[in-house]
Amino acid sequence: MMAPISSPFTHNNNSVRKVMLNVQLAALPALFTHIYFFGFGITIQWTLAMFTLIAVETLMLKLRSRPVWPYLTDFSGLITVTGLVFCIPPEAPWWIIVTGITFAIIFGKHLYGGLGYNPFNPAMLGFAFLLISFPYEMTQWTLPTQVSGHFLSFMDSFNLIFTGHIHTIPLDQITGATPLDEVKTALSTGVPVPVTLEGESFNRFRIPYGWAAVNIAFFIGGIWMLMSRSIRWQYPAGFLITMIILSATFNWFDPENYAPVRFHLLTGGLMLAAFFIITDPVTSSTTPLGRFIYASGIAVLVYVIRNWGGFPEGIAFAVLIMNMFVPFIDQYTQPRVVGYRK
Amino acid sequence: MQVLSSLKVAFIKWVSRLYPMAKRNLYQFHGGIFPQYHKELSLSHPLKRGIIPKTLVLPLRQHLGIRTEAKVKVGDRVLKNQCIADTEKGLSAPIHAPTSGTVVAIEPRYKPHPSGLKKLSIIIETDGLDESIENVLAVDGAHPDSPVALKEIVHQAGIVGMGGAGFPTFAKLPEKRNTVKALLVNGAECEPFITCDDMLMQTHADEIVKGAQIVGHALGVEQIICGIEDNKQKAIQSFSKACADTEIQVHPVMTVYPMGGQTQLIQELLGIEVPSEHHAIDVGVLMMNVATLRAIYHAVTFGNPLISRFVTISGLGLEEPFNAEALLGTSFLELAEMAKPKQPIDYPLVQGGPLMGTALHHNNVPIIKTTNCVLANPPKPVETVMPCIRCGECMDACPINLLPQQLYWHSRNHEFDQVEKLKVFDCIECGCCSFVCPSHIPLVQYYRHAKSTIKDIRQKEAMAELAQKRHEFKLDRIAREKAEREARIKAKKAAVKQKTAQKPQAKSSAAAAAAAKAAALKAKKPSATTEGQPVLSARDKAIAAAKKRTQKAKPSTGTESKAPSDKQPDARQKAMEAARQRRNQAKTAEDSTDKAAPKDSKSAQAAAKRAAAVAAAKKRAKKTTEKQESNDDT
Repeated sequence: MMAPISSPFTHNNNSVRKVMLNVQLAALPALFTHIYFFGFGITIQWTLAMFTLIAVETLMLKLRSRPVWPYLTDFSGLITVTGLVFCIPPEAPWWIIVTGITFAIIFGKHLYGGLGYNPFNPAMLGFAFLLISFPYEMTQWTLPTQVSGHFLSFMDSFNLIFTGHIHTIPLDQITGATPLDEVKTALSTGVPVPVTLEGESFNRFRIPYGWAAVNIAFFIGGIWMLMSRSIRWQYPAGFLITMIILSATFNWFDPENYAPVRFHLLTGGLMLAAFFIITDPVTSSTTPLGRFIYASGIAVLVYVIRNWGGFPEGIAFAVLIMNMFVPFIDQYTQPRVVGYRK
Repeated sequence: MQVLSSLKVAFIKWVSRLYPMAKRNLYQFHGGIFPQYHKELSLSHPLKRGIIPKTLVLPLRQHLGIRTEAKVKVGDRVLKNQCIADTEKGLSAPIHAPTSGTVVAIEPRYKPHPSGLKKLSIIIETDGLDESIENVLAVDGAHPDSPVALKEIVHQAGIVGMGGAGFPTFAKLPEKRNTVKALLVNGAECEPFITCDDMLMQTHADEIVKGAQIVGHALGVEQIICGIEDNKQKAIQSFSKACADTEIQVHPVMTVYPMGGQTQLIQELLGIEVPSEHHAIDVGVLMMNVATLRAIYHAVTFGNPLISRFVTISGLGLEEPFNAEALLGTSFLELAEMAKPKQPIDYPLVQGGPLMGTALHHNNVPIIKTTNCVLANPPKPVETVMPCIRCGECMDACPINLLPQQLYWHSRNHEFDQVEKLKVFDCIECGCCSFVCPSHIPLVQYYRHAKSTIKDIRQKEAMAELAQKRHEFKLDRIAREKAEREARIKAKKAAVKQKTAQKPQAKSSAAAAAAAKAAALKAKKPSATTEGQPVLSARDKAIAAAKKRTQKAKPSTGTESKAPSDKQPDARQKAMEAARQRRNQAKTAEDSTDKAAPKDSKSAQAAAKRAAAVAAAKKRAKKTTEKQESNDDT
């Protein structure tokens, strides 16, 4: 007879794998929206990222003498891939994503001890690395079809990613600055925000083509994750509420220099961050109040970097900075244990 | 207000269809889980009674406390209800023969305990006659009016908490009337698979109600509330019917694990938290399991001791699970075999439910007073334990609002001071955290390990302290004895000197003269030698000093001895001075003894203090070892 273990002997059959797969499922609407507006580039990047992930993760697990199969199939790497793939330009050269994933997996994850032990969000670490190392490649975004008038076919994207040029369309017609960049550049040349929002990158609701839809798709995926308990509500709630309060306040006092709430919520990777990036439990605060503070802190930093920082998008840096405060936040936000004084 | 709250409940129920965990807002305590209950398995088959197995094994300890001592010998014939084991030595509950038969052995046997050790048990071979002693407790059937009278009966009947803790019930009852404001009847039965309390409430609601009334009457309780989980509709109905004309309130409570936990049910029914490190009784609450109340009813009304109990025999490995009113001492395996196992039971059976039960090292163990369930779940493939991803599911599920994930982290790193700071001793080991952990980490095992290690460390510290105290005491005693000895010797010397001083002068003067003569001779000799040898040998110096000492008694000798001392006047002078002092000391021996006396008394006081401290420490150590023993043995 086998040696008995101690109680409990039953389980709700949840697993790390199921949680991670749920997150993947939630990213699908955003993926399809992305394809619709920006072409098939992202699928190629995704595939590249997957192969890199499998290769690097297998290698690292072997080097660390860990069993490969259980750790490769926990699908935690998929979250890193999702986080990074949506952040890089869809037609960026192939080595961008390969370098980014390699850096994220090695330096962001395995050198700290693998799943569960990394203090920094691997995807954001990879992204920050790419943004600092390859600023030109990282800011050449494919314009949405509605703006450029071109829809890149799969082969076009393939050629662009692997060779850097295609014969049919000149490159500068299909790539350009992101709306965040556009607003920032315009401000620096004296053009007020409301005028920029009248531009051709924005639809009649003054929200950017493509970007807004992708953000809404992320929001829908996020709601699904909340309902399936893959993520905790404190993260998106804290993040979005703080973002809304900040952008509304500044926009109220100075609409010429500060973009409205809807712009901030629906550009860049805001919803991606709110539901897919900052919700990474490993690198974030664990107490209920701590989660809220952590998310709010990121929102403040994102807003600061977007408006006064040197980079157009500040999510990666905001997340990495707040990652450093996690032990501190956890220490001071411990909930009251039952039977102790209120 | 009523409308608002019912609207809120309706809203949460609607939301919970989309988001099941919204149900956590429907009750008073934090967290909780909603496992699959499988209660229908055992409820769909009729209750079995009157099973008399060939042999009964009755461990001498079936409760929390110390072991009882057998009152029967091998070969004795015992009758049903006869008391066969008891002890006066401390907290315990006597054990009675469940049926008539012969004691065939008193030897160590396996009992349902996580240690899997053999413990001393009485083995009875039943004769099937079931001959009994009626009213063995000699009661008159009247409800006791005072807590003390009730305690006596409950103690004699060997009743312990039958919900699982096994704390002797009499010890839980207060001595004074009116200390208990609310008596809570625990009919929650929140563990999956177990239905014995449900079955009991369905079949014997009236007896439970009477038991509650007896306790309420004796203790002067103001309020009696019965909490039953709302998945036991039949039990709620029969219980409400039995309570119809009484002051007892029936409260259906939400079906959630661990609703049946004492702290949780108190929170749910009364809305109060039992402060940490306090008992329910400190806030005027007494909680009793339905089975315990029924046992009290039987003891008070008929004088019958606790010899049988309702047990659920269930599990996914059984074809026909059932409930039984089983005699204490019946084998687990025998009962499981009666439920037609789907596959041979070559896996560990579990005593209790799947969340807090004990997996057995040996399946052939007896039903004891605390056994509520025999669970036969075939083993499932073990999931790989993944690293903690800090998802916080455990924290959301914890009914005590602990931080299980951080507790785990520090327990794993052996940072036990941190673990204690995170209040590991408030953990009730309900298993909610392990149940929801997506990484399949056996969290509760880590906490158990941390708790026992911390206890171990504390005990070792106490032992070290005791050893240090003992050592200090010893050093002190040695010093004291030395001081005493010295004082004694000095006193003796002084006495002798005084005697010699007071002796007739004639004899002494003659002797002194002789001595002086010899001294003078000798004194000349060194002075002569010093001319040839400028340095005196050490021996000679000593001799000279000794001489001086003896001669000093008389003033005349002083002048005599002064002559040779001319050469080294300083040293001689010093030696003389020293000698004088010594002499004075000796003379004032009486003084010195007087001085020594208070010092002695001081040290004696200190010693007494130390002795008391040592005794206390010893007592503490004994207590802890006893406690540990009791923990080991339950």
